[in-house]
Amino acid sequence: MPDEEVLEEGVLNPIKTEIQDPLLQAILEENGTSLTAPTELEQPAPVPNPTEEVDCVVIGTGAGGAPLLARLAMAGLKVVALEAGPRRNPITDYATDEKAQSFLFWNDERLSAGKNPVAFGNNNSGTGVGGSTLHYTAYTPRAQDDDLHLHRDFGVGVDWPFGIDELEPYYTELEQFLGISGPTPYPWSGPRSKGYPLAPLPLNGAALLMQQACAQLGIQTSPAANAALSARYYQAGIGWREACTNRGFCQAGCNVGAKASMDVTFLPLAEAHGAEIRADAFVTEIERDEKGRITAVVYEQHGQTVRQRCRHLFLCAGAVETPRLLLLNELALTSGQVGKHFMAHPGMQVWGTFSEDMRPYKGIPGGLISEDTHRPKDADFVGGYLLQSIGVMPVTFASQMARGRKLWGQQLRDYMRNYNHVSGINILGDCLPHESNFLELADEKDARGLPKPRLHFTAQENEQRMNAHSEKLMRDIWTAAGATDLWSFERYAHVIGTARMGLSGDDAVVNPDGRAFDVPNLYICDNSVFPSALSVNPALTIMALSLRTADKFLAAQARLDGNN
Amino acid sequence: MSAPLYPSGTVRALLATDLVTDATRAALQARLDAPVHEPVFFEPHTYALFQTVAARLIPQPDRAEPIDVVGGVDKRLAEGKADGWRYDAMPPDREAYRLGLGGINQAAEALFQHPFVALSESQQDAVLEAVAAGTAPGENWQQLPVGRFFEEMLAELTENYYAHPLAQEEIGYVGMADVPGWTHIQPNSLEPREPEEVK
Ligand SMILES: Cc1cc2nc3c(=O)[nH]c(=O)nc-3n(C[C@H](O)[C@H](O)[C@H](O)COP(=O)(O)OP(=O)(O)OC[C@H]3O[C@@H](n4cnc5c(N)ncnc54)[C@H](O)[C@@H]3O)c2cc1C
Ligand code: SF4
Repeated sequence: MPDEEVLEEGVLNPIKTEIQDPLLQAILEENGTSLTAPTELEQPAPVPNPTEEVDCVVIGTGAGGAPLLARLAMAGLKVVALEAGPRRNPITDYATDEKAQSFLFWNDERLSAGKNPVAFGNNNSGTGVGGSTLHYTAYTPRAQDDDLHLHRDFGVGVDWPFGIDELEPYYTELEQFLGISGPTPYPWSGPRSKGYPLAPLPLNGAALLMQQACAQLGIQTSPAANAALSARYYQAGIGWREACTNRGFCQAGCNVGAKASMDVTFLPLAEAHGAEIRADAFVTEIERDEKGRITAVVYEQHGQTVRQRCRHLFLCAGAVETPRLLLLNELALTSGQVGKHFMAHPGMQVWGTFSEDMRPYKGIPGGLISEDTHRPKDADFVGGYLLQSIGVMPVTFASQMARGRKLWGQQLRDYMRNYNHVSGINILGDCLPHESNFLELADEKDARGLPKPRLHFTAQENEQRMNAHSEKLMRDIWTAAGATDLWSFERYAHVIGTARMGLSGDDAVVNPDGRAFDVPNLYICDNSVFPSALSVNPALTIMALSLRTADKFLAAQARLDGNN
Repeated sequence: MSAPLYPSGTVRALLATDLVTDATRAALQARLDAPVHEPVFFEPHTYALFQTVAARLIPQPDRAEPIDVVGGVDKRLAEGKADGWRYDAMPPDREAYRLGLGGINQAAEALFQHPFVALSESQQDAVLEAVAAGTAPGENWQQLPVGRFFEEMLAELTENYYAHPLAQEEIGYVGMADVPGWTHIQPNSLEPREPEEVK
């Protein structure tokens, strides 16, 4: 097909001026104000052009998209969420089986480059109504104030454009709304206006052994804050949610509704207030008028191409798909920062075998935490990390073991027979932005004909030192707990950065309110706007930013209305 | 500590009870009842080679009917499905498997002057050791990073094996009994539905 090249390029970049293809010109004209309807011949597959315009379209329904969707709907705005993945019913559709649950993951192929290529799929990113929160472990620690000020404290990286006081009210609101289980008082993070609404969940085998060993070594631990309910919980606007049954399968989806994923919390709240959520809707294009304002998005749903017009767009597709959409549509690129400063948490794990019968499938996988390593005294690196006990499902464990330990043959089967006796600890640590770590569009195309994203990641000296420090400490802990046959697995988890927030459009994509510097009606809210990686799990902070972005947007709208 | 053994028959027995949700039972029962897979993507020779390789990577001398670990790969490649990522240094999965299996045969010929399937088990293991160590001879490895290929293939076969209910039974996993929830979650504390190790 001779036009294929042009067609592809045109579909991806609908406002590029050099498009010569008559078919595309027809599509473009239709996007504009032209009154001459294209003929059947000129446009064999017209994108229906509904006249209906909504106040806001939200792309993605994960930790970044769902809270703001609810907030905007509750403010009375007409909002539509477009979600690439399916909508499922956890109670009937979620098997307690890793393979059967693979639909929860973003399985479109990403290319992983660099010296430490990051694993995606089940290591990283989800899809479906609820996004990655459908399969997160639900550890929900707060960031600490100094996490936002690496540059101030160490002279490297960049600071967040505000301090923790901006996030604290949102953390509190989220903890109360989601029903987070955790200890009060919590030993580490700074002042908080309220304790956790529910008591901590019970500790499982890995958590208990880690707790004892850390006590021997003088490391303080605590049951973790976890967004799973330790008791039945009434959620305003939604109703009762059931308590966690300790079934340990959070990473393949909770079929109890106990885990605060977005599909059982913010999304029903949003729908109760009139928001519309369209599942299986994969956005490919973002259209603008000649002034550069976004006018509509185009998405594919069940083989149809659909256009939705909107006054404002909230892009919440996660730290890979958000920059990919921006690059595909040549949007918000003036800072030159889209795709740059890709970060991933060092997630070093240490596994050991215990004589005790541990059964790592029981209890929430996210049980015990220590933030004593937040700013270690003997650190030879910038920032810090936290320690967490981990539960593990058999297929995930076996696969990781095969990659990391490289056992095969009879040795592999013999080792796996110890599954019920293994336990792990892992860290999540800060990661510095580095110019060699970035996302770009590859030449290779996916099934839709869109370029695949390629992500370059190489652990730099700081990450390597942090890994070495934490590996030694975790080996000491497991040795004190009586473990044998220790092995470590160097991994990088969580995609962070790629469309960062800052004070100036010279070095950031969005301003402190989450609005793109160079597109007046585009907001971005997900992992991609983090200016630095933080030394804690990201989801609670993404949700806090989401509510804050919605409030900033609503306040700006109110000001505009006042000026009318 | 020698690795524990667990009694057989427990997972099939569990699936017959109401301790398992319908969705979970459907997924596991389908795997237990799966008919023999006929290759769709690989041609018969390559498929036989792949099965021989898999039999060394995940040996099952204890099973009268080995769990099929390669059928799933053939099916996935035929459907063009991915698991969300690929090493940039690797060609697309279909290409990688074709080149990699061909490379294993080239290494077998170079080291033992016979195709892989014709070698003794210990010779086959020597070939695979060279592949795992990244030292395998063969021109295909000019186009395919040998160590990465070994890692990817091993991980996929391992996942296919441990996703099978009988392999889960082998390691004493009963997380699939998901209806009642778990109360005995401390070390050395079992629920009645958790099989005890055979001493
Ligand atoms: C196994 C695992 C365990 C984790 N555990 C924890 C934990 O314990 N604590 C924690 O804080 N974090 C955890 N995380 C990370 C956490 O889940 C993510 O950081 C967080 O959910 C990311 O939020 P997000 O809004 O940026 O993206 P997502 O939640 O991934 O949402 C993005 C959504 O956008 C949709 N989308 C993408 N592109 C398009 C498009 N073109 N059109 C339409 N829709 C699109 C996607 O389908 C997806 O639903 C874990 C992650 C994994 C993989
Ligand atoms: S452990 Fe609790 S929160 Fe996690 S999946 Fe099971 S019931 Fe849900």
